[in-house]
Amino acid sequence: MTVSQISVFANSRPGHLSRVLDRFEEAGVSVRGFSASDTGEYGILRFVVDRPEEALEALREDGCACTVTPVLCLKLVDEPGELARVMGVLARCGINVVYSYSMISTYIVLSTTDPDRARALLASEPVELITQEDIARFSAARQGKGIER
Amino acid sequence: MSASATMDVREKGGALAAAAAGRFDLLPVYKPEIERAPREQIEAVQLAKLKETVAYAYERVPYYRTKMDEMGVAPADIQTLADVRRLPFTDKAVLRDTFPFGLFAVPLDEIRELHSSSGTTGKPVVVGYTDDDMAMWSECIARLVQMAGVVPGDVAQMAFGYGMFTGGFGLHYGLQRLGCAMIPAGAGNTERHIQMIEDYGTTVLVATPSYAMHICEVGEKMGYDWEASPLRVGLFGGEPCPPGLKAEIERRMHIVCTDNYGLTEVMGPGVSGECLAERYQQHIAEDHFLWEVIDPETGEPVGEGEMGELVLTPLGKQGIPVLRYRTHDLTAVHTEPCACGRTLARMDKVRSRSDDMLIIRGTNVFPSQVEDVLTGIEEVTPHYHIIVETKDGMDFLIVETELRPEAFSDSFETMDALRRKIAEKLKATLLVAPTVRLVEPGGIERAIGKAKHVDDRRAK
Ligand SMILES: [Zn+2]
Repeated sequence: MTVSQISVFANSRPGHLSRVLDRFEEAGVSVRGFSASDTGEYGILRFVVDRPEEALEALREDGCACTVTPVLCLKLVDEPGELARVMGVLARCGINVVYSYSMISTYIVLSTTDPDRARALLASEPVELITQEDIARFSAARQGKGIER
Repeated sequence: MSASATMDVREKGGALAAAAAGRFDLLPVYKPEIERAPREQIEAVQLAKLKETVAYAYERVPYYRTKMDEMGVAPADIQTLADVRRLPFTDKAVLRDTFPFGLFAVPLDEIRELHSSSGTTGKPVVVGYTDDDMAMWSECIARLVQMAGVVPGDVAQMAFGYGMFTGGFGLHYGLQRLGCAMIPAGAGNTERHIQMIEDYGTTVLVATPSYAMHICEVGEKMGYDWEASPLRVGLFGGEPCPPGLKAEIERRMHIVCTDNYGLTEVMGPGVSGECLAERYQQHIAEDHFLWEVIDPETGEPVGEGEMGELVLTPLGKQGIPVLRYRTHDLTAVHTEPCACGRTLARMDKVRSRSDDMLIIRGTNVFPSQVEDVLTGIEEVTPHYHIIVETKDGMDFLIVETELRPEAFSDSFETMDALRRKIAEKLKATLLVAPTVRLVEPGGIERAIGKAKHVDDRRAK
């Protein structure tokens, strides 16, 4: 199961990230992971959220340049060599990881050249794939009691 | 355009549908006896009026009498239209130096209205209109609004500021002359403009193109349905209207838009106006204005249909009879009859001024060229900003352009490829390699009034 990542085009200047985050807050969207990278002039903000459709709609209403990209979310066991093991699976099959960032602790996001194939490959490995529903569930659980694990 | 679209100019989409079908007989013409006259007849009217105008200026305006005496030319020397070249040019500086009433040919009690053009430096220029001048001006406006399909009974909403800027009152009087109801809303308060369009059933909007775009966007955000709106025509002025911007406004507001050309020093808006057959050109009111196109360096006429500086002599203007006014606007004029049925000459829309030209590393660059290139690239909007900088004695051209939301992809590679593509296309046209910067949607300021496109940061 891939996860819908929201990508936003933004010019590199103060406030570009908070503007998007404010919009998410208004729309009741909770951010579970993000990355911001830029060229010095413009950048791409990437978000994993609990309600991607609402997030996208809120940004489009604002006229933002944004898009949805299928990415994989993996839960790694917190042990040495774990990241290398997972990356090794993809590397051996010629799948390039374009970018990667971590969500909460050991939850990481990978954008790959072939998300469906990468997902299928990883599904047969001892690694937990996180679904969009899981992310929503973590959020919901968090509202009820402390921090989910 | 759907096949079932009406060709009735009073209906939304009707004028464009009629024009697309070549049915120009369905579009109104305010004064066919002159707008469709044979060229010989137009030129005969021009010559008769030129002779009168020169005699009038010589008799009544000491500046012109002195100037013509110095040049050894008398009113009787004007025997053909080409003889206009024997007359002195008038530059804006002359109007400024004779401020306020030095060029006025009548006493102030014969003047009905004063207008002025804002001076960017020093004193403004003030102009005065007699009753006859006002009538002539209104008629010029009535003609050009009819080219867009405006008819008596239309309800026109003014989004120009009034005041002494000629745009507001010029259009106001001309639309009234035609028989329209005027709503003098004035500039500003965009949401109120939209409310008024809905409440009063406004069919015609008068605005700068950039403000019309702003009204469009605000309306869209408010959830206003432009397709269902009574608004049918946009009359633009006050700044050059990029073709891409106009097309976008027409598509999003579901209206037909034309623009006109004019300048305070010779009258105001209405010197020429766009018809729906040649949308990159404007018909000159030749019975009221004699045009010349000259090489701005030498002052000599350019060849037929070639680009040069437009020089205008208003014919029969009484308040201020200006001779050979140097507009500094670059255009070419064409005299073949137009598909719309008009025989009045057409000038290419003014896209640049002789003083807008940027010289970058020895190459002449016009902002309009940048706009033309960007208009042809679907990933970006027609909004742009040009920055010129110097670094180590070298000029650098930076072009900022706005990404369309749908053109964004989650990849730096793709975005960078787009940037390179735009830079290559610009270089092919400008012959100067620019740096292209992609700006987020809405990131380029929409100026109300004269849109500022160029920021020249080189030390002057
Ligand atoms: Zn025409």
